[in-house]
Amino acid sequence: MGKRRDDAHSRKPKKKRDKAFDLWLKRGLHQMFDNVVNEPVPEELLKLIQEDREKQD
Amino acid sequence: MTASFHDQVIAILPKLRVQALALTRNRSVAEDLVQDTVCNALAAQDSFVMGTNFAAWMHRILRNRFISDLRKKREVGNIDDTPQSLLSVSGRHEDRLALKELDAALARLPDDQREALVLGVLEGMSYQELADVAGCAVGTAKSRVFRARRQLEVWLMGEEEGGVSGKAGAETTTRASSTRRKTRTARNTTRNAQQTA
Repeated sequence: MGKRRDDAHSRKPKKKRDKAFDLWLKRGLHQMFDNVVNEPVPEELLKLIQEDREKQD
Repeated sequence: MTASFHDQVIAILPKLRVQALALTRNRSVAEDLVQDTVCNALAAQDSFVMGTNFAAWMHRILRNRFISDLRKKREVGNIDDTPQSLLSVSGRHEDRLALKELDAALARLPDDQREALVLGVLEGMSYQELADVAGCAVGTAKSRVFRARRQLEVWLMGEEEGGVSGKAGAETTTRASSTRRKTRTARNTTRNAQQTA
């Protein structure tokens, strides 16, 4: 019984830590990947898509 | 109809880049993978059924292409070839160190777990969408995200209790001592995240 209470007590900060870690992880991933997402699409690739579009039309 | 298909291809390119980079961990290989994926998609556009999930279709093509390339090359990922621009973010020294540690830890994750985590966290994909992309059960997709997140926590925060089962768990035990030193930086930055939340 007492042990269970102790477990419940120790779980609380763990939950908080989990939340903080999730937040940190999300921010970290954004910092790592956002500049890749925001980079302009290579002209070559756009040309490839455009050429195929014209071929289909 | 065709125009709409091409517009959708262009619109999804940034997300394909994220997936490609998550899988290959190599900037130039990722760019090639995206280009090959687009070529495959354009060649197979007649097989796409309008009204079905276009994003899942494209991500699946990329994933299949990655697996096929991997089988051919047997070696794609390379921690040393980490795109430096990924890590060249401005900010405090401590933040940059934490990012480098995160990057190194991500590199150690199995490809499918890293992909699921990145697409889930960054792209906000649901477990169902992740399962559609990977061609696996929803439970498997959920487990991949959970295990990836848990494993990163173990490596970066030194959280060893509760363990991660299987191969990853065994690896954790053997590597935990060598990574314990690194946890301080991640802990500090996590604490900062908690304070600013």
